[in-house]
Amino acid sequence: MAHDPEPGEDIEDLFENAPCGYLSLKPDGAIFRSNATFSSWTGFPAEELVGKRFQDLLNIAGRIFYETHFAPLLRMQGFFNEVALDVVGRDGQRLPVLVNAVERRDEAGNLLFIRMTVFNATDRRRYERELVDARAAAEAASTALRDLNAGLEQRIAAAVDERMKVEEALRQSHKMEAVGQLTGGVAHDFNNLLTIIIGGLDSIGRQIDKMPESHELARIRRSRAMALHGAERAATLTARLLAFSRQQALDPKPLDPNRLISGLADLLQRTLGETIALETVSGAGLWRAFADPTELENVLINLAVNARDAMPNGGRLTIETGNASLDEAYVDALTEPVAPGQYVLVAVSDTGHGMDEKTLAQVFEPFFTTKAAGKGTGLGLSQVYGFVRQTGGHIRIYSEVGEGTSVKVYLPRAPADVPEREGAERLVEFAAEGGPETILVVEDHEELRAFSTGVLRELGYNVVEASSGRVALEVLQTSSDFDLLFTDMVLPDGMSGHELADEAVRRRPGLKVLFTTGYTRNAIVHNGKLDPGVNLISKPFTYEQLAAKVRALLD
Amino acid sequence: MSVLQRNNVQVRGTSERAMIFAHGFGCDQNMWRFVAPAFEQKFRIVLFDHVGAGGSDISAYSRQKYSSLEGYADDVVEIGEALDVEDAVFVGHSVSAMIGILAASKAPDMFSHLVLVGPSPRYINEGDYVGGFSAEQIEELLDFLDNNHMGWSRAMAPMIMGNAERPELGEELVNSFCRTDPEIARHFARTTFMSDNRADLANVNAKSLILQCSDDIIAPNCVGEYIHKHLPDSQLLVMRATGHCPNLSAPDETIAAIRAFV
Repeated sequence: MAHDPEPGEDIEDLFENAPCGYLSLKPDGAIFRSNATFSSWTGFPAEELVGKRFQDLLNIAGRIFYETHFAPLLRMQGFFNEVALDVVGRDGQRLPVLVNAVERRDEAGNLLFIRMTVFNATDRRRYERELVDARAAAEAASTALRDLNAGLEQRIAAAVDERMKVEEALRQSHKMEAVGQLTGGVAHDFNNLLTIIIGGLDSIGRQIDKMPESHELARIRRSRAMALHGAERAATLTARLLAFSRQQALDPKPLDPNRLISGLADLLQRTLGETIALETVSGAGLWRAFADPTELENVLINLAVNARDAMPNGGRLTIETGNASLDEAYVDALTEPVAPGQYVLVAVSDTGHGMDEKTLAQVFEPFFTTKAAGKGTGLGLSQVYGFVRQTGGHIRIYSEVGEGTSVKVYLPRAPADVPEREGAERLVEFAAEGGPETILVVEDHEELRAFSTGVLRELGYNVVEASSGRVALEVLQTSSDFDLLFTDMVLPDGMSGHELADEAVRRRPGLKVLFTTGYTRNAIVHNGKLDPGVNLISKPFTYEQLAAKVRALLD
Repeated sequence: MSVLQRNNVQVRGTSERAMIFAHGFGCDQNMWRFVAPAFEQKFRIVLFDHVGAGGSDISAYSRQKYSSLEGYADDVVEIGEALDVEDAVFVGHSVSAMIGILAASKAPDMFSHLVLVGPSPRYINEGDYVGGFSAEQIEELLDFLDNNHMGWSRAMAPMIMGNAERPELGEELVNSFCRTDPEIARHFARTTFMSDNRADLANVNAKSLILQCSDDIIAPNCVGEYIHKHLPDSQLLVMRATGHCPNLSAPDETIAAIRAFV
C-alpha cells in the first residue's frame, strides 16, 4: 500500500541521492555527514567517512595542493569553486572530481560548518585532457609552421645572396667579354696596319739591298731596323691582346704536358733565376691534353715570370700535373660555362707574397698589374685566361697573402683517336723563293692586298686579285687555272673566306687554300681553333713568312 | 623597476623595528591578513609577494635565478636593504621559513629573530632523515601540476587562463587572493619540493621560533624536531592548530606565539 511521504522524506532523498556528492565538515575540517551518492562513488560507507578530513581522501598531490592552496583560499574568501582533484576510493581507484566548498556562518560571523559539493568529473577530465592535447598539438603545429617560415626566410635570403653573387660574376664576365671585343677589334685593325708597315719596311729592305753602300744608306738601314723592331714589338702586343680576347688562331693538338714541361725546364729555370728552385711533379698515367703547344709554353713562361716577381727574395716554384675530373656540381658553381668531364691539370704554385681578394678579383683583366709602372704590361694573366678559355679549359687561382699563389690550369683531355704529333710543329724555314704558279689573292683591304700581291709578284708568281668573295668567284669562272687561293677570312658582301674556299675547291678540286687573318670569329675557326688540315698565316706577316708558307703549300 | 615594485612590497606602521612577513608556496601576502595587523602598533610591518605570485612583476621571473631558494633569499635581502632593515623579525611560512634561514646567513645583521611557520629543510625522505614524502610521491605531485593543468589553473588563476568563451566563469571564479601564474607555480613547486637546505641550518645566529602544527602533512612533527636540533638558538612550539596554515586557521594562537617570542 502506498503511503504519503513522511515530512522531509523527499528532502532526505534529494540529499542522499543527488547527482553530486555532499559532505558536511566541522570548522576544523572533520567530516560529520556525507550522502549516499558520495559513498557509492568512493566505496566508503558514511560511518567510515565521519571524522576524516577531506584532504585525507585525496592522492598525495591533491593533499599538498589542498593544504597550500585551497584550504587557505576557503579560509580567506569563504568559498572555492570547481577545484579539480582526485579522490582515492576505498579500493584505491581514483575518481576525478570537481569540488565546490563554502563556509556557513551565523549572524555573528562564527563558522558553523563547511558545505562541500563534489561532482564526478570523469568525462569532463577526459574532455579536458583531449583539449589540452589538442592545444599542445596545435601549438606544436604552429611552432613547426613558424620554424618553417623562419627557415623559408633564411632560404630566401640565401637564394637572394647567391643570386647577387651570380649577377656580380655575370657583370664581371660581361665586362671581360666587352673588354675582349674592344681589344680584339683594336688589335685586328692594328694588325692590318702593322702588316702594311712591316710590308713597307720589308720592301725598303729589299730595295736598299740593291743600292750601293753609302753613309746615308747605312743610316736608312739603321732607321729601318729600328722601325721594324718597333713594329714587331707592336705585333707581339696585338698577339697578346688577341689571346686575351680569345681571338687568336690556335692550333690545338694532343700533347703530353709532362714532356712539354721538361722541354721547357731550362728556359724556365733561366727565367726564374738562381734564388728560385724549380720543382716539377709529374702525375702518373697522365692523359694527353688538347691544346696549342706553343701557346701553352707561353702560358707557363707567363706564370713563371709572375711567380718570380712574387718571390723577390727567392723561393720555390712547383709545376704539377695530374688528371682531373670536373663534375657537374663543380662546373655548375662556376660563372663561366665549363663543360663537365675529364681535364688535364697543370698547376703552377709559388711561395711568394700572394694576393688579397680584391687583387684576385681583377687579375684576369687586361692591363691590370701590380707591378711597378713600366715593369709589366698587365697582359700576362689576361692572355693566359684567354688562351685557357679559348682552348675549352678552365683556370682557377688560389692565393693566400704571405703564403703564395697557385694557378690551376685545366686543359681538355685529348680525344683518344687523335694521334700525337711529334713535338710542336715548327715552321720549316724555306728560302724566299717563288715560282711559276698562279695565285688568286682575295683581300678587301686595298693596301693589304697591294702588299700581298706585291710580295707574291716580286717572288715571280702570277697573281690575280679580287676584293671580295663574289668578285673572286667571277674570276675563277673566267680565268685560267689557279694553283692557290690566298684569302682573308673576313670578307665583305656576305661571303666569308671559308665559304669562298669551299666553293672554289668544289669548282676546282685540288686547289690549295691559304687563309690569313688578323682575328676572326668566322666559320673556319671553330671556337677559335683551326680545322684540321687548314692552312693559315696570321697577320701581320713578313715577306719571308709569306714566301715560305706559299712555297711550302705549293710543294 | 625597483626591488619594492618587483616584489609588490607593502609597508605599514612607522615603528623603527621591522617585521617582515614572507608567504609560502601557493599563496601571496594575503596569507598574513589575519596576523600582520596585530603587530602594526609595535613594528614596521613589511609584506611582499615572491616574484611570480600576487602583485609581483612577473616579467622579473627567471627560471635560472629561481631554480633554487637562494634566488628568493637574495630578493629578501634586497628588500631588507632597500628599507634599511636591521635587527628585524622575519616571519616565514612554509618554504619561506627556509628562505629566511638563507637570507639570515647572507645578511647576519638584518634579522635578530626568525619565526618559522611549518618549516621543512627537505621534504623527501633520505636515509635516516624523515621529510614526510618519498621521492615517488614528490614526482607524483609534480606530475599532477603538469597533467592536471587545466582544472588546476582554472581554480587557481582564472585571470591568466582567460575566459573569453565563457565570461560568466571568470566572474564566478574571480579570485583576488593567492594569485599565481600556473607556469611559475609549477616551477616554484619543483624548486620547493626538491630543495635540501639541511646544511644551511647551522649558519644562523638569530634567535629562532619554530611553529609546528599538529597533523601537518607537509611538515610533520619529526621535521620540526629535526630543525630544532640543528638550528643553533631555536625554540620549538607545537601548536594546537592542525594543517599547514595556522596563520589562517588559528591566527590568535599564531599571534600569541609570535608576541611571546619577540
